[in-house]
Order: sequence, then structure tokens, then C-alpha cells
Amino acid sequence: MMIRSSTILLAATLVLPAIGLLTFGPRGRATVPTDRVIVRYWEKWAGIEAVPVRRIVDDFNDTVGARHGIWVEYNSISDVDKRTLLATAGGDPPDIAGLFDHIVAQLADQNALLPLDSLAAEFDIRSDAFKPVWWQTGVFNDRLYALPSSPFTIALYYNRRLFREAGLDPDSPPRTIAELTDAIRRLTRYDEHGAITQAGFTVSPSMLGWWPWAWPFFFDARPWDGRRFLVESPQIIDALNWVRDWRSTVGLNPMLAFEGSFQTIEGAQNPFLGERLAMVFQGPWMTNWIQTYAPHLDYGVAPFPSSDAARHHTFASADVFVIPRGARRPREAMRFLQYMMQQDVLESLCKAHCKVSPFRRPQDDFFRDHPNPHIRTFDALAESPDAFSVPKSACWAQAKDITQVMLESVNRGIATPQQAAAIAQRKLDAAVDDYRVARARREGGR
Amino acid sequence: MSAHRDSLSAGLLWTAPWWIGFLLFLALPLGMSLYISFCDYPILQPPVWIGAENYAALARDPVFYQVLWNTALFAIVSIPICTAVAVGLAMLLNQQVRGQAFFRACIFVPNIVPLVATGIVWLWMLNPQHGLINQTIAAFGARGPNWLDTPLGVLASLVMISVWSVGSGVVVYLAGLQEIPEELYEAARLDGASRPRQFYHVTLPGISPIILFNVIVAIIGTWQIFALPFVLLKMTAGPERSAYFYTSYLYDNAFRYLKMGYASAMAWVQLLIILALTALVFWSGRRAVHYRAG
Repeated sequence: MMIRSSTILLAATLVLPAIGLLTFGPRGRATVPTDRVIVRYWEKWAGIEAVPVRRIVDDFNDTVGARHGIWVEYNSISDVDKRTLLATAGGDPPDIAGLFDHIVAQLADQNALLPLDSLAAEFDIRSDAFKPVWWQTGVFNDRLYALPSSPFTIALYYNRRLFREAGLDPDSPPRTIAELTDAIRRLTRYDEHGAITQAGFTVSPSMLGWWPWAWPFFFDARPWDGRRFLVESPQIIDALNWVRDWRSTVGLNPMLAFEGSFQTIEGAQNPFLGERLAMVFQGPWMTNWIQTYAPHLDYGVAPFPSSDAARHHTFASADVFVIPRGARRPREAMRFLQYMMQQDVLESLCKAHCKVSPFRRPQDDFFRDHPNPHIRTFDALAESPDAFSVPKSACWAQAKDITQVMLESVNRGIATPQQAAAIAQRKLDAAVDDYRVARARREGGR
Repeated sequence: MSAHRDSLSAGLLWTAPWWIGFLLFLALPLGMSLYISFCDYPILQPPVWIGAENYAALARDPVFYQVLWNTALFAIVSIPICTAVAVGLAMLLNQQVRGQAFFRACIFVPNIVPLVATGIVWLWMLNPQHGLINQTIAAFGARGPNWLDTPLGVLASLVMISVWSVGSGVVVYLAGLQEIPEELYEAARLDGASRPRQFYHVTLPGISPIILFNVIVAIIGTWQIFALPFVLLKMTAGPERSAYFYTSYLYDNAFRYLKMGYASAMAWVQLLIILALTALVFWSGRRAVHYRAG
């Protein structure tokens, strides 16, 4: 075959610059000392949230890392759970990933995470240093798959000024659901057209933060028993009845209009910050928003009302560290996690993120210097026997969506509590059964 | 023969980047996804062949029917409205008026706004208490709806936003309108045709191939709607799951529920639906679409 010289010339014109670019083109910053082993660390935090963790990484690289020949490379990754999942599936995961606790069961059940029990013992990371609820966030089927990074509990934030105006005692916030219901009634205001100008509380998905599914838990419901989600329990029906009754008292359309006017809860549009919503449940970081957007807000913090005054239900959740299966440097990664799990180091991160400490006995300066003046309330809640976490089910992502639809359909008056629960129960049973069948089939195929 | 072989080799060589890209990034993933659609594949473990079980499960899945209906309804409502508005705007822009370029730019600008920014802007516009739309309605003494809190409101909002961004279609229609020979209008006028008759007998046939093209593009686009409801409904499925569309459910199955086999089956059904609708549009338009000879 004859190739014309013009063809060769044209090819060279295209290929040579490409070769030149590959050979002499720009490179990443070569700041890693040549004698170090690189540990790739993917984390969700970027911008201001990444600053404290970058500082910890730098300190590690300068001290322990230098002694052990390890260099931790921090990467802020958006959608870190999905990317870690795909990288793990592709056989090239990071050595450490900063994920959310709600994904641990799903990934662990798919054999995507390295069990950390023996590594934790070897590196002297002991469960008794941590509050049980935080250690348990990383445990699935009695094995440790994750270590807590920055945990949080949820409490009631209430507007003291609005309480006073409504004739409520700002030093005695509601402790039970019945007291909450009464307070909501007294705090809700309408204009002459029937539009809500101020609401006591709302169970709208946007105002229940990132956990709208959690509402029935404050009525003592614990729907996951390890094998089945049970949403037809009396506690869940009670929670749904409350939603239905409350909607009919306040008025569905005025409430939807009020809720529809919220944009995001993270910013100045949050109606609690604008004093249009008297009570809300949120994590300790709410103080940061208050300081930024409503520094003069007169607010209080208390455990969220529960079914009975002696109980303190709270949602306890944590960001976690995992080592994906297939990580190239698990031992070096664990060395870094050992450094991270030192109380002063981890508490500096938790403080910077305005969260609670995962340790059994936080250091004095943790409370003293914490940006949230109510941090002791959040910390005490983590020790409540009623604290609950994300159900440890590999089907949780699907179950969460089904549960939310159940709440939503009652919230909008589309179904009665019994109907909504029955529909959700069927779907949940089907989802769990499908998962179990698929799992058995895969195990049978091995 | 040798010259022919040489030119074939050179042709293949020069088109090699495309062929390689096509094989690696399109044909191979397509084939893989077809295979995976017959497997149980939770991403993190190897796929296990299960035959047509994913397709059978789809047929039993009520959420699948709901997203199918939501997507079809959005397509059925938005495509005719957007087409009519785009043709109308193109005809207006085809008039010789002062500031024509300015008006053309105004209509096209929404198309260069990133989708997320569009979603955020419309989120504010649709705010039931402070939004521009309800404030305008209130100025006339009426009360605007809770746009994003009812299934009908969600559909209306999404259609409004689709209409807002018809600019690219308008540009194509405008080009088509300018291609229609003026003699045809002259002949119609000599025969006494009124303006509406000229539109029906000259303009519409003249741009019919472009309408066909735009409708097919719109069918593909509406059946793949994902980002806009995602932003507008703050990552939720909306009231009564009315903003839960086909691609959103596909995404959830693939990356949240880790049912990649099921999601692949959904993707193939989606492809078949789009192909069938495209074929239907071609078939139904075979008499209505006029291609100029020469």
C-alpha cells in the first residue's frame, strides 16, 4: 500500500504535537517527597469545610507521615459516595474515603469495604474511647467497617421571642409531642386572607432537614428489626395520625403555600432564621447559620419532644472514614486514621465543623471553645438510650424513598394513615425480599 | 483496484479516531448495557445472568408505570406547546422590524443559561408568596397557585420553563422560514389566499421537515428530562411523585439502589420507546412533510 507524502505530512502535523504535549506538557505539582508512599484520601468536604481537614493532613504529612514514609493526598470529591462506589467497582478505589454513615451497610453488604476490626486493634483504636452510638455507626453485622469522623445529633431549636409573644415560657420548651402540638397551635398566625404568616412547626420535607423519614422515630417507632421494615406498627400509625390531624387543624393549602415559600434551609431564606417559623429540628451547625444570617436571634435549644417527657429521642448520625476493598495502601491508610482518631485531632475537626465529639468524654476545651454554646445538649443526647441512627439495612436507600412517599401521602391528604402504611409495607416487603433473593442467587453462584 | 484500496485505507485511517471512539465509548457500552440488562448486577459484584427477569420485574413495577406516565404526559403537553410557540416566535422574528437582532438575541439567551441556574431562577419566580409570577397575578386581584406543590402545578411549571427555552428551535425555524421562496407567497396571494391560508398552505408545508426534525429532537429530550426537576424540586420526587421522571428513576436504580441490571433494562426500554415514537412520527408525517425537489 502506497501512502502519499501529503498524508504522512498531515499525520505528522497532528501526531507530533500530541506526542510533544504528552512528553513535555504540564504535570501535577511534584510536591511529594520521593521517599513517601502515597495514600489517596477522598473526602466530601470542599471550601471552608475542607480547611481543618487539610490542616490535619498537612500536620500528619509533616510529622507521623514523615517518620513512616507516608504522604496523604487529600482530594475534595463531589458526590464522593458515588465516585467511591464506581472507583471500587473499577478496581481502583482511594485508600480512604470520607462517606456518610447511611451508606455503610449497603457498601459493606456488597463486600465493598474492608473490615477494620483487626486493623483497629493493631493500631490501638479502641471502641471504649468512643460513645457507643458513634462507634456503632461503623458497625454492620457485628463487624467494624467505618470509623466516625464528625458526628451530630438533632435537637429542637426554638425562638424565645416568639414563645414569649405566644404566652409560652421560653425557659420551658415542649418536652412531649402533646406539648409540642399545643405550642404549634399557639405559635401559628394567619393574615386576614387565611395565609400563614408564622408557623409553629412544620413536618414539610424541606424543614425536616435531610431526615424527613425520621418523624415516626420520635413516636418510639423503630421500623427496622434487622430482617423486616415494619411500618404498620401502632407507633408509626400514631406519627401519621399526628401529621393528618395537624394538617387539618392548620389547613392544608395555607401550610403548603407557607412551605412552598422556603427556598433552602442552609441560607438566609430559612424561615426559622427569618422568625417566621418558631421551632425546627436541626443539628449543631445551625448556630453557624444563625451567627451568619440572624446574629440577633433570641433562640434556645432543647431535646426534641418525644412520646413521653422522660424519653429523649434524637437522630444520631456521623460522617465516617472507610477503607474501600481493593485499596492499595490499607495499612498506611490505617496509620493516618490512627492519627486522625487522636482525641485532640478529631475534636479539632468536629469543632471546626460545629459538630459533637465522638469521644466518650470530650475534652474540656472542646465544650469551652465550641462555636455552638448549646453543644452540651447535643453531646448529652448522644448518650440517650433513645438515640437512633439510620436503619442498618442494605436496602435503606430504597426503603427511605418508600417511607418518605408514605409520609408525603398523609401529609397531602392523599391517603389515610392506615392506607399509606399498608401500601408502604407492601413495597418495603417487596424491596427487602427482592434484595434477599438477589443476594442468595449471587451467593449460590459463587 | 489498488487506488481504491489506498483511498479506503486512507479513509479508514483518517476516520480512525471517530471509529475508535465510537467502538470504545458507544458501541461497547451499548453492548455491555444490553448484556447487563439481562443480569443481576449490583455494580460492586460481577453480573449474574438472570435472563429476562429485569424486564419482567419492570412490567410489575408500579413506580415504573408512574414515571412512564409522568414522562409521557410531560412530552405530550410540552412538545406541541413548545412547537407552536417556537413557530409563532420564528414567524414574528421573520418580520422586517427595527431591532430584529435584539429580539432574536432575547429569545435565544435562555438557551445559553446553564440548566442549574435556570432551575434556581425559576424556583424564585415560582415562589408562591414572593415569586414574580404570583406577585403579577396578585396585582390583578387574583391568588396564584402553589406551583410546585401540586402535580398540575409542577407540570405547568416545567412546561413554562420548556417554553421559556425554545430559543434554539426558533433559530432553526427561522432559518427554515427564510428558505421558503417568496414566489410561493406571491402565487398564493394572486390566488386570493388570506394570511391564515398562506400560513396553512405555504408556510407550514415549507417548514414541515424542520418541524419533523425539531419534534424528534424534542421527543428525545423530553424522554430524558432529569436535571431541571432535580433542581426545581430540590432533589425530591415532587408532590405525589409527579416530578419523578423516567431518567430520575433509572438513575436511582443504578446509583442509589445499586440495581444496575434493572437500570440497564430501563435504559433499553427507554431507547425502544424513543425509537418507536420517532418511527411513529416519521410514519404519521409521511404525507404531511414536504421536501422540496432539487
